[in-house]
Amino acid sequence: MTIRPAAQSAESEGLRVLRGRRLRKPTIAPWMVMALIAVVAFLGLGFARTSLDGSAFELVELDRAIAEQTALNRQLNLEIAQLENPARISPLAEELGLVIPEQTKPILVDLEPGTPVVAERSSDGTNQ
Amino acid sequence: MNTPRGRARLQPAKVRIAIIGILVVLAWLGMGYRLVQIQVFAAPVLAQEGLNQRLVSRDLAPQRGKIFDRNGDLLAMTVEAQSLYAVPNQVEEPLWVAQQIGGLLEVDTDRLLERLTGDRDFVYLKRQVEGVLAEEILGMGIRGVYSLPEPTRLYPAGDVASHVIGFVNIDGVGQEGLELVYDEELTGVPGRAEFERGLDGTPILQGISDIVPAVPGVDLNTTVDIPLQYQAQQACKDAVKRTNADNCWVVVLGVETGEILAMTGWPAFDPVTRQTLDPKCDRLDDPTECRNFSNFIVRGMYEPGSTQKLITVAAALEEAEVAIGTTIHDVGDVLELRDDACRSAEDDLYGCYRDFKEHETRDMTVAEIFTRSSNVGTIMIADRLGQKRLVEYIERFGLGRKTGVDYTVESPGLLNFEAGCETCWASAAIGYSVAASPLQMAAAYAAIGNDGSWITPHILSSKTDVDGVTEVAGIETREVVSSGTALLMRELLASVVERGTGGNAAVEGYRVGGKTGTANKLGSDGRYTDETRASFVGMAPISNPKIVVAVVVDAPDFEFRTGGVAAAPVSAAVMEQALHRLGVTPDGEQR
Repeated sequence: MTIRPAAQSAESEGLRVLRGRRLRKPTIAPWMVMALIAVVAFLGLGFARTSLDGSAFELVELDRAIAEQTALNRQLNLEIAQLENPARISPLAEELGLVIPEQTKPILVDLEPGTPVVAERSSDGTNQ
Repeated sequence: MNTPRGRARLQPAKVRIAIIGILVVLAWLGMGYRLVQIQVFAAPVLAQEGLNQRLVSRDLAPQRGKIFDRNGDLLAMTVEAQSLYAVPNQVEEPLWVAQQIGGLLEVDTDRLLERLTGDRDFVYLKRQVEGVLAEEILGMGIRGVYSLPEPTRLYPAGDVASHVIGFVNIDGVGQEGLELVYDEELTGVPGRAEFERGLDGTPILQGISDIVPAVPGVDLNTTVDIPLQYQAQQACKDAVKRTNADNCWVVVLGVETGEILAMTGWPAFDPVTRQTLDPKCDRLDDPTECRNFSNFIVRGMYEPGSTQKLITVAAALEEAEVAIGTTIHDVGDVLELRDDACRSAEDDLYGCYRDFKEHETRDMTVAEIFTRSSNVGTIMIADRLGQKRLVEYIERFGLGRKTGVDYTVESPGLLNFEAGCETCWASAAIGYSVAASPLQMAAAYAAIGNDGSWITPHILSSKTDVDGVTEVAGIETREVVSSGTALLMRELLASVVERGTGGNAAVEGYRVGGKTGTANKLGSDGRYTDETRASFVGMAPISNPKIVVAVVVDAPDFEFRTGGVAAAPVSAAVMEQALHRLGVTPDGEQR
């Protein structure tokens, strides 16, 4: 049998033992940082992907809007052409009392040599 | 405390925990196995099945090119319409549906009923219906009736340009006119799209996406002036009504460019319904069978009659066989090239030639022969030329071969100089034994107007593709006579209008030149009848021609049978409009 000496209290040697919570400088463990980065990256990836998916919907909507406007533009051009058709305008003109002159006479104007054909503006703003 | 009693209480709990633990482990093992099975072994197959569900392959139909006139006005374009179809086994009351829809769609009710009661899964009710009408029918909420978008071709100018543009069939394939000639270029190149889509059809951007875009068809820019085309058509329509003719055709050419400014006739046809707009058709049992799409200006052949004399006299002048002032002696009103060819006053047999009006035999200058359109005098001029040189010039002026116009199925015309035919040359000299199209005659006259240079007539001025690149059509030119001969011929043509048979072709303020033609038509027995084709080909202004107009009036009533009466007024009306629209400076009063 071994006789072990009784434990000596630290207090008996003049040391003061503090009981309770041990005060420690707070530190962030590396694994927590990695975990945080991983979570942020995962969330970011998810956000980017959903944004892209959302963009796909927007793109389809834009394509549809473009197609609609293009079709409308085409329809309007067609309508303009139909309205300008002389076969449509001529009977309307006749209804309004307009007639195609049976005889036309061209009038030739003799100009003095050097007479300007187009009016020119002088410095005071009047036509010459 | 390790007592026998405590040991007995612990045992069942441990067992239960163990069992649960084992079950949990087994469950996890099962899941693990399934994961490995799906993710590793079955992954390729499942991925492919998923892709097949998501992957869509679709043809992209190209937009058919548009057609414009020379002013940029739209003549033809494709828009989206709705084609109505039915799934017969979904239609609950086919008779009621046929009655309701038949009237709106203008489709025979019996025919609709037959389709709705058939055993097919898909039947068209009517294709390419206007959007408003389709909406009205779909708004009725009839079960089994649906619509799908389908392109349809529309022609804003209607029948005015139908003889130029032609038309397409229900599937948008060109059948006639420019729509046929340039069908491949107008159609474009179909594209293809392969992409992954979600349940709602939205494309998945991150997925497979392979798109080959469709290439739109080329746009065609024509030389035709639609307002002038309309005026020309109206002038023809008036002529048909005035003279009770079967039809009338007119073509307007730019002299220096060969551009076809107008090419039309009456009756015309509706390019959408493809029905001829002739009141006579309404009297037929089935008016829909009255369809005349043939463009006589390009495709037709007729004996040009006295309008042919331009070539004969021009050839003689060019070869210096005659001058304008040369006197031809003893020009009578009857000429027999074979003995007893003219047995009686009315009996024109093979080798007998008569002038239109009787006159005494006398000396006539070349100018007078041309102005008065003397058949006998012209044959006497041609006699100095000889058949060989006459044929050479006829061919040089473009008769007997295609002009090369960019249109469908052009007629080359016909030159009848078979071996052993002793009098064919004489007939050809005055416009018989030769068949030409109105376009060939117009191009021949345009050569005289263009100082002796023949130019290929053409309808297309350029094409525009999706990149905006414009391609200009190629044109052939060739010399047929010298500019001096051309100038002399122009003065002779002016004299026809000023003092001869073409007085009705005069236009106020401009000197107009031209030649009338009156050719009897051949009957079924091979003999000439009293029916005529009256024609006039003219140009203006004579001092510097810009326009050639060729008019053919087919089978006018007897009192209007001559070119000067039936065709010349049409030319005057069209010429005046053309000169004004082009802003051509008047060159003075007709002398």
